[in-house]
Amino acid sequence: MPVITVENVSKSFGGVKALYEVSLTVEAGEFFGLFGPNGAGKTTLVRILTGEIGSDSGAGTTAGAPWSDPMEVKRRVGIVPEAETPPTFLTAQETLELVCEIRGVDDPEERIGEWMGFFGMEEKRHVLCRDLSKGQRQKLMLAAALIHGPGLLLLDEPFINLDPIYQRRVREHLRGFVEGGGTVFMCTHILEIAERLCTRVAVIDRGRIVGEGTLDQVRRSEGEALEDVFMRLVEA
Amino acid sequence: MPLGPELLIFKSMMREEWRLHKSFQGAIGSHVFPAVIFAFSAFLSLSAPLILGNIEALRVLLLIHLGALGYGLFVGAMGYIGEQVMTRRLGQVNMVLGIPRLLPVSFRRVMAVFYVKDAVYYVLYSIIPLVLGAAVGAPLAGVSLLTVGRLGLTAFLAFMTGMGVSFLLSAAHIRSRTLLGSLMLLLGCSVASVWPLGALRAGDLLLPLGYWYGRDSLYLLSSAAVALLLSAAGILLMRERFEAPQRASVEMFAPVLGRLSSLGDLGALLAKEWVELRRGGALGPVVAGYIAPLVVIYAMVWLLGEGLGVLIYFNVVFYGGFVGFLGVTVYSWINNLECNEFLNVQPVGVDDVVRAKLVLYFALTFSVSTCYVVGIGFLNGELGLLGLALLASFSNTVYVGAVTSRLTGLWTNTMLFDAKVLSKFAACVVPPLVAVLVASFMIGSAPSAAAALLIGVSAAILIASLPILRSLRSKWSGHRFSFANNP
Repeated sequence: MPVITVENVSKSFGGVKALYEVSLTVEAGEFFGLFGPNGAGKTTLVRILTGEIGSDSGAGTTAGAPWSDPMEVKRRVGIVPEAETPPTFLTAQETLELVCEIRGVDDPEERIGEWMGFFGMEEKRHVLCRDLSKGQRQKLMLAAALIHGPGLLLLDEPFINLDPIYQRRVREHLRGFVEGGGTVFMCTHILEIAERLCTRVAVIDRGRIVGEGTLDQVRRSEGEALEDVFMRLVEA
Repeated sequence: MPLGPELLIFKSMMREEWRLHKSFQGAIGSHVFPAVIFAFSAFLSLSAPLILGNIEALRVLLLIHLGALGYGLFVGAMGYIGEQVMTRRLGQVNMVLGIPRLLPVSFRRVMAVFYVKDAVYYVLYSIIPLVLGAAVGAPLAGVSLLTVGRLGLTAFLAFMTGMGVSFLLSAAHIRSRTLLGSLMLLLGCSVASVWPLGALRAGDLLLPLGYWYGRDSLYLLSSAAVALLLSAAGILLMRERFEAPQRASVEMFAPVLGRLSSLGDLGALLAKEWVELRRGGALGPVVAGYIAPLVVIYAMVWLLGEGLGVLIYFNVVFYGGFVGFLGVTVYSWINNLECNEFLNVQPVGVDDVVRAKLVLYFALTFSVSTCYVVGIGFLNGELGLLGLALLASFSNTVYVGAVTSRLTGLWTNTMLFDAKVLSKFAACVVPPLVAVLVASFMIGSAPSAAAALLIGVSAAILIASLPILRSLRSKWSGHRFSFANNP
């Protein structure tokens, strides 16, 4: 059953074409990776999938909700955007309280405690977000995306600024999440992590999907590294 | 280091400043701004013989130099911006000022270039148009162009003095609270020696003004030296290394949310807004935004009384209407804290946040304006007019809030610089405000007609506010949270 459908989606910004008739489908229970060079259109596609911006043409759904209803899309998914932007003047604890309140989480204190513990942020609970390090803000953004237990995660560079310990923790959590029936759509440049996690991938270049399939399908030969696949598809 | 890199940094900063203004005001708005300053100054200078005819020249000069000093004080708080840039706590905005983080260049040097850039930019952007505008009406007032030129020079020096003072204070603030307190005390004592002690003349403290006592060039030289000294001291006080503090804070969100639970979905957003308002230090400026224009009214009354020899009296209804109009400053301030980009990934729309801001706006404006109007009613002995005054205040507050939120959403500070938006705002808000003010003037001579006019206008704008408020959802739901409004 598809949880993301993208049909012939195009998008321009002031005359610059970011996406050309992109089509793809992500099935429930997949760990889907989207890769591409800088400026290829990855973040634009994620922003369309999350309902943050509209497409110029084409249609699609995310977690069963049409993009024309961005509030419903956001209700059903967890999102980690490209840049970590928690509210400047709230503390880490207050940020998660706000998220729980907006999302109607039943047991906020318990969930906040759980995720603060997961990310080793207990001591930073009462620190203003403006004074957190980039890595701590990223952990907070991840916690905010996971705290309501969504079935679909849309992650744009989720490992950025995380130290190796927490890269591993997040990786293991995401793997368990998918094994438990959840779906992940992830953009990343860290191909080693993607290779270990993704069940299906797509490569986007200059706004077009230039390759898509399971890791075996995109590999030309057995054992070809994802990095080599990426270079081959993009350079072609 | 040779001067070459500094020139390049200066050019980059000038470009950056221009583009920053363009991102706030739009290309047209930023080009038009100096022209607006010029037109405003020309209008003032042409009408000066009428308004300022009876006022002693030195008092007019004092006002002009105080204005320039105040402008400089506003521009010069850059030391604080420097600290924000160096500690990477200015959100998504990165500036050339931050290059010492990565490049082998001293922060003090870059800060000095930034200081010069600000002075040059603001002189080109506003002070020169202001002086040119003043030159338009000067012949009519019998003032030579040479005198206008001299006035431009002393106003510039007053501006530089203001910049120097506020830069020094902001640098001291970063260095040490004790140092800041000592400097403030020194400044306070200096000002007190002029007002109210009268031990010094204003021009002996504000040296550019002193030039006009006897056209003594020594005042020009010494004021230039003071401005340089202040800026140099500020630069020397700047740190080369900054360490971002890590501040913990007492939890506020949950208790506030508990008190707002009856507001349903809006409660969480409103609690967030309130916490940000408190922690962002904006509560003071919001109240000051209310008080400062009232000081301007007082100055207007003084000018008209002293200049035209006509004693003007404003009753409490006038103040009620005017304070309602001033609500725009409150709405603007509460939009000035956070761009809310975080909410792009939550099931919350810009329209929801606009509605939460409006609730906060109403809470702040109603409480402050009611206290203000009742206070004026007592002071003027006009308790009988309080009902009408409160109606004028309430209706204008609601209407101005509705119109401002409809036209500017979460980007009031930038969108009101857009000539098109500003025109719409003026077309919507000024006519009813004028009608209320006219009604306030009529109360003495035709009380029944004035009351009827006031009640009619208030009812009309309250009724007009309803569809405007209802339209906020459709107007803003498609927008995204961003630093500048790029829907």
